[in-house]
Amino acid sequence: MKCQSCGKREATVKYMENINGKKQEMHFCIDCAKKLGFVDFSSMFSPIFTNIPDFFEDLSLKEELKCPVCGYTFDDYANSGMFGCPKCYDTFSDRLDEIFLKLHGKNRHVKLKEANTNKKEYVNKDKKQNKEDKIQELKEQLRILVEKEEYEKAAVIRDKIKNLEGKK
Amino acid sequence: MWYKEISKDSDVVISTRLRYARNINGYKFPNIMQKKEKEELLNKLKSLNLSKEYNFFKTSDIDKITLLSLVEQHLISKELVNLTDTGIIMNKECNIVTMINEEDHLRIQSFESGFDIDKCYDNLSKFSNILESKLDFAISDKYGYLTACPTNVGAAMRVSVMVHLPALAKLGLLSKIIDEATSMGLSVRGLYGENTSGYGNIYQISNRQTLGLSDEDIIRKTKAIVNTIISQERKARQVLKENNIYLGDEIYRAFGILKYAKVISDDEALKLLSKVRLGVSMKIIEDVSLEKVQSLIIDIEPNTLRTILKKDLSKEEEDIKRAEHIREELK
Ligand SMILES: [Zn+2]
Ligand SMILES: [Zn+2]
Repeated sequence: MKCQSCGKREATVKYMENINGKKQEMHFCIDCAKKLGFVDFSSMFSPIFTNIPDFFEDLSLKEELKCPVCGYTFDDYANSGMFGCPKCYDTFSDRLDEIFLKLHGKNRHVKLKEANTNKKEYVNKDKKQNKEDKIQELKEQLRILVEKEEYEKAAVIRDKIKNLEGKK
Repeated sequence: MWYKEISKDSDVVISTRLRYARNINGYKFPNIMQKKEKEELLNKLKSLNLSKEYNFFKTSDIDKITLLSLVEQHLISKELVNLTDTGIIMNKECNIVTMINEEDHLRIQSFESGFDIDKCYDNLSKFSNILESKLDFAISDKYGYLTACPTNVGAAMRVSVMVHLPALAKLGLLSKIIDEATSMGLSVRGLYGENTSGYGNIYQISNRQTLGLSDEDIIRKTKAIVNTIISQERKARQVLKENNIYLGDEIYRAFGILKYAKVISDDEALKLLSKVRLGVSMKIIEDVSLEKVQSLIIDIEPNTLRTILKKDLSKEEEDIKRAEHIREELK
């Protein structure tokens, strides 16, 4: 089963809840579960690690992630709150969406130097940008709903995200 | 000096600052740069061939009192003084000041008296365009301008407006307004004193969000909120003027102490000048100009006072000389 948040990776974490006597199940990959704020597995989840080798491989890979230019690791960032060089933004980009969402409410910048770009190209880019913005916005809503344990509403938002991502 | 003049909305707004954070490809961020690398970058910036009105300084070539006076004038940060191998590029009027090797390679700042954010932006973008044509700034399609700390990434622009809000404070409305501004994405902090409320009722209002917003978005939003705060403060002053005979008494007592005191600390002087500033803005005091009060608020600071008098002072001498300087100016 694919993760219900990103729709890409295998779901390895199952979350169950009784809402008005109805049993609701949600399946996430480990990354999305973390992004959605489900870090407290022991109290909220029944973890089902169907894919143990992948899971550990994933973790070890991340621990070794090191900026090729300045040698910074993600831990160095976490400890100092600062990056080591411009390249770090590329190196750690997988992990930045959530951080930036928290800091700025967004995780993509508007296009710079709009005046210089061909207008038609710009309009197209803008449309794509809007869609990505929309997806990020919905993901943030999803996170908040899941936090508030409003799973029925969350499911609706999740479907919207799936729809938009499908059209990419 | 630009801050000794008065401008748009000067009755409430002391000054406006816009600041870009910019970094240069091929260098680590200053937090992990080696001394050699920092020196290399300083030399690169020294040899940029900017027009004559811009002067380059290594911070280590400027004496400590002058540097701390620049901090008191809010032209550079305390951090810049504390770090090693930092530099400054400053124009003659001191309204375009770039810090080198602070948290980012470049912190390009533009200042205006009062709330003249458009002129401020115009100056900032002109100067940063010059730099951008000569340097390879670190930019990404996804994240905009890249900065050492992710709180600045994107537009990497910070608008800071220094406001004087004594009437809202007096009416007890300040905390509500600060809360509202905060919920709108701005941050508000007291400029003097340790805790957030500070003293002198002088506050700095800045935008928090820099990613996913264009410069214009940030300016438009900050402008709208600050304009609301300005009109609230003016309304509060009107209420005080109409209903409160004690306000004039309080302002004139402050004025009296400043005019006649023989010994005064910087803290006390600032608190009293804050009241006099309100009195002058409201035309309760008419024989002193707002320019004069605005200048005094900076001049009374310990290091700036020393640069004006051109000599070092003990703490005791400082308080005596400060009182003397204020008496002289308010004569
Ligand atoms: Zn997922
Ligand atoms: Zn790096």
